[in-house]
Amino acid sequence: MAVRANPDLIDELQQFGARDAVKCYQCGNCSAACAHSEDPYVFPRKSMHYLQMGLEKPLRSALDPWLCYYCGKCSEQCPRGAEPGETMMGIRRWLTAEYDFTGISRLLYRSWRTELITVLTVALLTGIGFLSFGFLGGGGNLSVYDGPGAFLPAHDIHIFDWTMGIILALLLSINCVRMWQFTMRNEHSAPVSFSLYARYLLLLPLHFFTQKRFRKCENKTPWANHLVLMLSYLTMLILIMVFLKQMQSGPKVNWYVHVFGYASAIGLVGTASFAVWGRLKKDAAYHRHSHESDWMFLGLLLFVAVTGIIQHVLHRAGFPMAANITYVVHLMGVVPMLGLEVPFSKWSHLAYRPLAVYFAQLQQAAQAERALPLGGSAKPQPAA
Amino acid sequence: MAEERIGVYVCNCGTNIGKIVDVPAVAQAAMEIPGVAVARSYKYMCSNPGQEMIAKDITENKLTRIVVASCSPRMHEGTFRAAIKRAGLNPYLLEMANIREQCSWIHDDPVDATEKAKALVHAAVQRVKFNEPLESRSAPMCPSTLVLGGGVTGLTAALELADAGQQVYLVEKQDHLGGNVARLDLTAPYLDSAQDILRNWISRVERHPFIRIFLNSELTELKGFNGNFKPRLRTEDGESLELDAGSVLVCTGFKEFDASRIAQYGYGRLPDVITSFELEAMLRAGKLQTKSGKQPRYVSIIHCVGSRSKEFHRYCSRVCCTAGLKYAFEVKSAIPSAHVSNLYSDMESFGKGCEDFYRKASEARTSFVMFAKNQLPSIREASALDGCGMLITVKEQLSGEEIEMPADLVVLMVSMEPREDASLIARLVNISCDKDGWFIESHPKLDPVATTTDGVYIAGACQFPRDIPESVTQGRAAVARILAKVAQGKITVDAVYSEVQDKLCSGCRTCFSLCPYGAVEYDAEKHLSHIISAVCKACGCCAAGCPAGAIKVRHYTDEQIYGQIEGVL
Repeated sequence: MAVRANPDLIDELQQFGARDAVKCYQCGNCSAACAHSEDPYVFPRKSMHYLQMGLEKPLRSALDPWLCYYCGKCSEQCPRGAEPGETMMGIRRWLTAEYDFTGISRLLYRSWRTELITVLTVALLTGIGFLSFGFLGGGGNLSVYDGPGAFLPAHDIHIFDWTMGIILALLLSINCVRMWQFTMRNEHSAPVSFSLYARYLLLLPLHFFTQKRFRKCENKTPWANHLVLMLSYLTMLILIMVFLKQMQSGPKVNWYVHVFGYASAIGLVGTASFAVWGRLKKDAAYHRHSHESDWMFLGLLLFVAVTGIIQHVLHRAGFPMAANITYVVHLMGVVPMLGLEVPFSKWSHLAYRPLAVYFAQLQQAAQAERALPLGGSAKPQPAA
Repeated sequence: MAEERIGVYVCNCGTNIGKIVDVPAVAQAAMEIPGVAVARSYKYMCSNPGQEMIAKDITENKLTRIVVASCSPRMHEGTFRAAIKRAGLNPYLLEMANIREQCSWIHDDPVDATEKAKALVHAAVQRVKFNEPLESRSAPMCPSTLVLGGGVTGLTAALELADAGQQVYLVEKQDHLGGNVARLDLTAPYLDSAQDILRNWISRVERHPFIRIFLNSELTELKGFNGNFKPRLRTEDGESLELDAGSVLVCTGFKEFDASRIAQYGYGRLPDVITSFELEAMLRAGKLQTKSGKQPRYVSIIHCVGSRSKEFHRYCSRVCCTAGLKYAFEVKSAIPSAHVSNLYSDMESFGKGCEDFYRKASEARTSFVMFAKNQLPSIREASALDGCGMLITVKEQLSGEEIEMPADLVVLMVSMEPREDASLIARLVNISCDKDGWFIESHPKLDPVATTTDGVYIAGACQFPRDIPESVTQGRAAVARILAKVAQGKITVDAVYSEVQDKLCSGCRTCFSLCPYGAVEYDAEKHLSHIISAVCKACGCCAAGCPAGAIKVRHYTDEQIYGQIEGVL
């Protein structure tokens, strides 16, 4: 079956940050330089070519973009300045939009104005919402931060967190199912048995928590930075989702919560600042280009981390009213950051990337199984 | 014969000969041969001391014939002929024994090789005894030149010759000058207008006092020989006109491949499949549109149409890659929203400025779709739902996918091929064509504009696909060759040629049909054949073929050959 070319694809991808793909003349240096590029996942070359040819369908069903961690080696090697690393990044943004069933992702990625207005609107609504709740449904008194009668009682915020968490997880799951359909249920993919899905299931947490494939990149700095950022964030998430009461308590100090809290706060601020600094300096290939969504992500992250810290300091220093106000401001960052980033933007890769590693492994195992004669045992290669 | 005093000089050629052949032994053996007065060996016989050694022996030992046993005569026969001439001997009294290429380089066994070298020297000695002193002659050189073809090559050459003060007859088959370049819009890679380039030259050619232009005219016959040709033209008025020309420059150019021969491209059937020359016409008219008058949204350029193909032409037409990129660029300039794709199997944008041009075209957002030579794309009409005029199906090599591409206008980069009258012209001016029909040059590297017929030169795209700078360069190169001859004022005729002995000739004309150079004339009145010595290359076909044995090849007489054969045995 012939694949219909969409000549507009490359123009469309330009809005997602894949600007220089036209310069590529398929020499393949990028794939030769890449530590991860391996048959059949020969990237960035193959993805670049799909893009140039306008092969929308094959590109949508490709796992390759998620197997790339953007260490920038390919862009350094490119003799044409085609920025294959940034093209892969652009394709990931596009894929995020393609997986997203709501279409919100597409709107946010294609226009920074839309993104900014959406974030501000959500922040404003969050602020109004929490203030109203605090005065009408919560403690009612802005100068009580913790204990009984707190302006924003930990118990209620806890319920809110979990509700939001479940909604976001649901949205992301639907998008993940769409990803599965595109990448695992197309004419080129091998059918994967249920037992295979089960056998390799542990790959998901393994790659989620360790990101060990990222370490294979020649340049180790991005991996280290990314890991610290991810673990810090995860720690903070667990603290908020499980130990919110202990965080929002006083005057007794709950040391184990605090130690983890400080550590992850330092991790978040440190890694985010490092990324901002790198993106401003533009000395590494992976920091040379910044899409508006990258700035939005880093901005929100820093905002949330810093307001979180201020809120904590104010609380501990005995300024409950200021702490409460900062709390609302902090939430005005948290809600748009999680609400928009997780299902519709950059943060969705927390699910897509481990899934892609898992799916790629399954595909290879299924292909190997199919190639073996009856009775033979499939011995798939370790994860690429 | 007994009084001949022969000198034999055996060369070591550094170690080239000496490491296999026992050179002193060869020289010693030569001394035994009757008639040999001197036999010596030396490290490099071709060096100045080596040549002086021979010259000294000629004077001091009164040598009358010389044998040099060394490399191939193609290498140093001229050197040694000149050396013995300086010493007062006729240069044709030299004989060479090739003991390098035909002995030391191809044998491993020193004993056998030395024996063979001795035999070769013996043969040369036996031959040289029969060599006769010969003198080369000269003939007058007519300074005017016949230029066939009024394209960019012919125009350049005509101007260059005429500017040097020589008469030029410029013959053009069509009713205007300019050739294929006149059909172009802009030229790659600097996008100069082809018309501007030509206009200046044509007006200069038209006004030049030394150039006579014959439009709508053809060469019908070429008699005579180098320096003294008698071309006959059929002119515009249908008259037959004979001219005098010392040289003939053929620059008849090329024609384009008939694209309808590749059925799956649909040329001639699909109205919006056009050739590169048709696109040039559109661009010149400033009307880039489909047959129905719409602005094309998808423009595809298919490369190698007829080139690099087993079925049509195996060669590369060389200019079409860059021209195709030029179209991509021009289409994007005219219609910025258009999607331009290049469908190619090989992309070779060679030449000054052209690689940059490739980059420029690719950065102007044209896509490059690679197909395999044996899997050409196919084009069909699209349906109303497709949103385009045609669909191109192509098995794309780099992705391995079969792709269906939308197209509104398809441009076929047709290959260059020899004109249909190329073989006729070749026959008229007595030059050869290669298997593809292009005229063959005398030497592909060292003599690219001369032919095997002295006085007939070729330049430009009649010889092989060429771009404009190359054609111009070749035109000027040919002019340099012609002017060098004109400056000499006469042509030298080699002393080695065939002669018909009138007493023995029966006028059967066997030799006429055997001669590859058209050197044989027939005198119908006397019923005798005659060989034009200036045209003869002394190949010996006529002498071998003559049933009466009436033809003698100077310097290759029967005695000389028999002597050599007996000598080697």
